[in-house]
Amino acid sequence: MTRWFEDITLDEIFPLGSYTFTAEEIIRFGKLYDPQYFHLDEAEARESHFGGLIASGWHTVLVGHRKMVDALFAEEDRLRAIGEEPGLSGPSPGVNRMDFKAPVRPGDVVTYTLKVTGKRRSNSIPGWGLLFNDLDAVNQNGEAVYHAELVSFTKLRDYRPSFRLRLLMALTRVPGLGQLLASRSRP
Amino acid sequence: MNPVTANRRHYEDLAIGETIALGRTQVTKDMITTFAREFDPFPFHLDEKAAKASLLGGLAASGWQTAALSLRMLVDAFLSKIASMGSFGFTELKWKQPLMVDDTITGTATITSMRRSKSHPDRGIIVIAFDIRNQRNEPVMSMNLTNLVEVRDPSAPIPEAAE
Repeated sequence: MTRWFEDITLDEIFPLGSYTFTAEEIIRFGKLYDPQYFHLDEAEARESHFGGLIASGWHTVLVGHRKMVDALFAEEDRLRAIGEEPGLSGPSPGVNRMDFKAPVRPGDVVTYTLKVTGKRRSNSIPGWGLLFNDLDAVNQNGEAVYHAELVSFTKLRDYRPSFRLRLLMALTRVPGLGQLLASRSRP
Repeated sequence: MNPVTANRRHYEDLAIGETIALGRTQVTKDMITTFAREFDPFPFHLDEKAAKASLLGGLAASGWQTAALSLRMLVDAFLSKIASMGSFGFTELKWKQPLMVDDTITGTATITSMRRSKSHPDRGIIVIAFDIRNQRNEPVMSMNLTNLVEVRDPSAPIPEAAE
């Protein structure tokens, strides 16, 4: 999936693999980032409307993110193995929405998939494109665990800066002038 | 009656506009790389040199780490003190600028919306807007978290506008 912006096809579904959530992992994550009683203690969690220990939604999301990063690296390896130069993924500007749909309990197996639903060139960062991704997680019974709509940056292969931009980039390397230009070009 | 949350603030005790001051958390290089190794092993969260060459311009925390630490601050300051029933999710999570080594985050969370659930009269739904800032008071992250809260008196009538 670390493909160049131009090579990314829309609506292709990428399987990201599965993860089994154990009580130990659920509690460890809860203690670190989401210490609410239904993520920490089985007996107390039984008093909640969940009726037992559940994983923090953020835990299931972070595991999903890790699965996605692993898939990007695997795609990079696959492209190198067939003699192609992989693209470059960048950081993410945000998440449009995240819907937690069903709780994850100890022993649940969550399976993740990724789909790119849209893409466009970045207006703010020349040479990069924006991807709009759906990440879906389902449990072993086929129930939706969460649905996420993520945004990420990926690099363009065929990008050549405009003459104006190349001139500006050259000028920013002149001592003193660079800082002045940078401060003036801020939005 | 839930014995765990009986003495905590319930839906009826909350109001739109309530602002929660979040604590402060400093992110060290070790915290950044430990988190990245587990959840976000991109080179720009693990390695100084790779980070310098990236869009981030230096070793920076995973945006997900900023979010997880912000959540932790909200749980400590608020969610563990109310009769929270967990979250439905969030919208408009925006990472406005990277959190670099030794930066400190703090900020506020404000209740921006409240309504009773029509299908479950024992539940209220609140939206909490995060405004996370760094030590220079620059915005780092924002998002709107939707959280469920126990209603103390489910027999109280639900206003018409509720869903």
